[in-house]
Amino acid sequence: MRLRWRHTTFGTLSIALFLFVVVSGVLLMFPFKVATPYSSITKMLLEDPWLSLLRNFHFWSSQFFLISILIHIFDHYQKKKVGFKIGVGLRLALGVFIVFLAMLSGFLLKGDADSVQARLILETLIKRIPVIGESLAYTFLGSAGSFLFIYIHHIVTLTVFIAYIIVEHSRKFKPSGTDILISFFLVLVFSFLFSAPLHDSFNPSVKGPWYFVGFQEILHWLSHPDWSLLLVAIMLALFFMANTGSRKFSFIGKRALLVFTGFYILLTITGLFFRGERWKLVLPGQPGYGYSVLNNFKTTAVNFFPEFENETVDGSPEIQGRKESCLLCHTGTHGFVDAHKPESIGCFSCHLGNPFATSKTGAHHGMILVPGNIATAKQTCGTAQCHPDIASRIHTGLMTTLSGMIGVDRTVFGEQKDFDIQAHVNNLGNSAADEHLRNLCVGCHLGNGKNVPGAVTEESRGGGCLACHLNYSTEAADSLKVKYPEKMQVHPAVSLQVTNNHCFGCHSRSGRISTNYEGWHETQLEPEKMPENKNYRLVEGFRVFKKVSDDVHHELGLECIDCHNSYELMGDGNFYSHEEQQQDVRCSDCHFQGKPKLTDATDLDNESALIAALRFGSVSNKKYLTTQKYGRPLINTFYENDTAYFITKNRGKKFVLKPQSSVCARDKAHSNLACSSCHTAWAPSCIGCHNSYNKNEPAYNMLTKKAVTGGWVEFSGVYNATLPALGIRKTGEKDEVIPVIPGMILTIDKGSFTKQKHDSLIFRRLFAPAAPHTTAAKGRSCKSCHNNPAALGFGEGELTFEITGNRGVWKFRAMFENDVHDNLPADAWTGFLKNRTGMVATRNDVFPFDIKTQQKILTVGACLTCHNDESEIMVNSLSNFDSVFAKRSSKCVVPEWSVE
Amino acid sequence: MEKKSRRTFIKFGIAGVVSLLIVAWNKFTLRHINQLKHVRKVFPLPKNRLVTFYRNFIVVKREKTTVFSSHCTHLGCEINRLENNKLVCPCHGSEFDLDGNAVKGPAYKSLKKIPSQIISNGTEIEINL
Repeated sequence: MRLRWRHTTFGTLSIALFLFVVVSGVLLMFPFKVATPYSSITKMLLEDPWLSLLRNFHFWSSQFFLISILIHIFDHYQKKKVGFKIGVGLRLALGVFIVFLAMLSGFLLKGDADSVQARLILETLIKRIPVIGESLAYTFLGSAGSFLFIYIHHIVTLTVFIAYIIVEHSRKFKPSGTDILISFFLVLVFSFLFSAPLHDSFNPSVKGPWYFVGFQEILHWLSHPDWSLLLVAIMLALFFMANTGSRKFSFIGKRALLVFTGFYILLTITGLFFRGERWKLVLPGQPGYGYSVLNNFKTTAVNFFPEFENETVDGSPEIQGRKESCLLCHTGTHGFVDAHKPESIGCFSCHLGNPFATSKTGAHHGMILVPGNIATAKQTCGTAQCHPDIASRIHTGLMTTLSGMIGVDRTVFGEQKDFDIQAHVNNLGNSAADEHLRNLCVGCHLGNGKNVPGAVTEESRGGGCLACHLNYSTEAADSLKVKYPEKMQVHPAVSLQVTNNHCFGCHSRSGRISTNYEGWHETQLEPEKMPENKNYRLVEGFRVFKKVSDDVHHELGLECIDCHNSYELMGDGNFYSHEEQQQDVRCSDCHFQGKPKLTDATDLDNESALIAALRFGSVSNKKYLTTQKYGRPLINTFYENDTAYFITKNRGKKFVLKPQSSVCARDKAHSNLACSSCHTAWAPSCIGCHNSYNKNEPAYNMLTKKAVTGGWVEFSGVYNATLPALGIRKTGEKDEVIPVIPGMILTIDKGSFTKQKHDSLIFRRLFAPAAPHTTAAKGRSCKSCHNNPAALGFGEGELTFEITGNRGVWKFRAMFENDVHDNLPADAWTGFLKNRTGMVATRNDVFPFDIKTQQKILTVGACLTCHNDESEIMVNSLSNFDSVFAKRSSKCVVPEWSVE
Repeated sequence: MEKKSRRTFIKFGIAGVVSLLIVAWNKFTLRHINQLKHVRKVFPLPKNRLVTFYRNFIVVKREKTTVFSSHCTHLGCEINRLENNKLVCPCHGSEFDLDGNAVKGPAYKSLKKIPSQIISNGTEIEINL
């Protein structure tokens, strides 16, 4: 392995390289500050490209020094007899060890995230050496947090020892001119092209230097890493044996070292290229590979023409103990909320890139222009220093998983038998249902990436954290209109100001709770036929909505987030099948009877306390109302002097909370009714749609966001805004009456997709539990339920109590013709005075009224045909219907249940 | 023979002196380390935070507030992240529950508990090492 030049070997090159290490190290002493190493290095990188080059030169000359030494040893072992005297052999073995230590101490002196953890590992290992471990660790590393001892050993103790070994071993004091030239140009080229690594302090992956990574891999496998010390001792012994032993022992030592080296190279490759955050195995192509595994390889060439004034480095803020080059160009950027000001968190923490590069291209390499998407949330908003708790649970929320939507669709398509089977939108397959979801449903989920800057509008879908927290000021929006701005001067705010507009994009669809809440009902009018008055509204340029009536809370100025807390919206760490399981807040949390459930400010969880403090100032000595379901505080409420108060989160409007009306809790008859059963003013419904697959249809894949040929087409039915029907949720604990709407009364031509003969037309008549968000202060009337066929699930029509003599019989004439598939009227949920079984709702626990319940309701309905809702007898019947019924007049006609 | 004995004597002498130096160094260094160790530290106690990470310490505030060493029992790396109510080591992924018990390796020992007491009307926590 001798080089072409006569006297140049890797041994002689090592001497030259060592000389460069020493000289560059001496020069680095001036800009390097041992008290604040990380900060001083970042300053060095940004302040002067020549300093940057010098640091790289020191780094690369030391790396090549180590490599050159190792090759030199291999060279000796391969071609020459070794046979040193014991003393020399011992010093050489120790010398190699010291070289590694010197390199490692240099790595520690970076003071970055990698170095801090490497130092702790080294300290722990040294401390585990029996008897002298503790002293040895302190002598080499010094006090925790101080780099002084390491620095002294790096520049003096270890360097002097290496110099001594070199001189003793080579009998040379200076390298030859050829060696100097070769190594100088090699190191210079590398120093110019590849900057020495420096951790950005945000990336969660921590790795040691390349020559330590194999050892780190070994440590990862050992529960008792103390054994690794023995391994180091064995290595030194083998090295000593190879250098000094007899021919036989030397041979064994060399072979053992060779085998170990091969093995170590494999471990090093594994550690460098396949280990990511927390030393997890990550393969190329897997999510986060580049960010997590290859972070240490992020490097740029030295830029001698930085695009900013070097003098500004001193005045720029220090972020996480370091300087950022971003802030040297992007000065004066404004529009942030205080917590997100660049002076506090820099640019890199959200946008990534390379904070130490001094060219635009280098700094922007790997940058995330629009941060906060779920796919990158852990790298941006969710780093350990920012919002790690939220980032680790956001993926569990239904707005991310769409579990309910997927579970229902797959069950309706007959691909699974249980609506509650959990699913995730990221795991959709290629079945008929999943393709149906791709074409028509799954555009709205938090994981839907927002990749282009711009405000959240009614056409926005998803965007991770920004879906709710992005707010463009007029100035920021205007700045986007400049086609090629030199620099972004106005930044949109990322804030707690979550408005109804943020929710609107997704929630104006399907259940349409956003539009319902504001009182808008979607019609089937064509845009051009929309009357031009304030009772009509055009959404997304083609959907025509008609004004019905606002939710009472909307009239009062409440926004979505005034009721819904952060755990409901961003997930609480649990996976749920359906929305009503994840939903925490209930009407009775605010509109309670008697004493409310309270939480002291001192017992608030950190997230709630932080949000409360940011929104309303001091939380001290306050008592907050608490949800009954999951016991979470409602931070925009407080209880004082036996009065409960409510404050709107964005506008600070204050209300005294009203208790439930006495009507709601006075009787036994309606105690199992959900508040929304009575207080829902109206609910949207759609019946009779048909779904079929057309292979030639221009369609859209909502997951890949690409136009495709062939897709599911929905032929929609009739849209209505009426009082909802009622049904029963049987939870096991109690039977609760809830509002329901026609979730899926439809036909699906499954065979059009599968092309299988056995896949005939699917017909479903499923109602869905509804949360219409059209609350009215006054509940619906008695007759609107007891004498209303639609409320009872029979569908619209004429429900009459026909009295002949003293016989009374309920009769129903449906408005719609019976459907050929099940002989029920098109809008019905169940037959008139009939039971319905099988798949009846989009939940396993929701059912229409059975015959017995229908009869009970209609019996009251019969009374209501003569007695007014508010008549004394009807009011009395609310307390004990059976007693009042038993004392009925002889004139009263009781319905007979001979069903015709 | 005489010469050899003198050399042996010198060798043993040097070995003895070096050993003495090592013993003295070990003793003095340990004494110095112990002096550094016995310190009282006071940290603010965030009332609403379940887990607070400080340099070298983790404060877990539940019904009873406990202070743990933040150094992983595997190799001493500083634990700085809470995920799914587990304290997670960034180096090799060991996980500990909020009682400090190792629930995922390579670490197998529990986190070291640090004696502490809450002071200043519950606003601060004092750690005595």
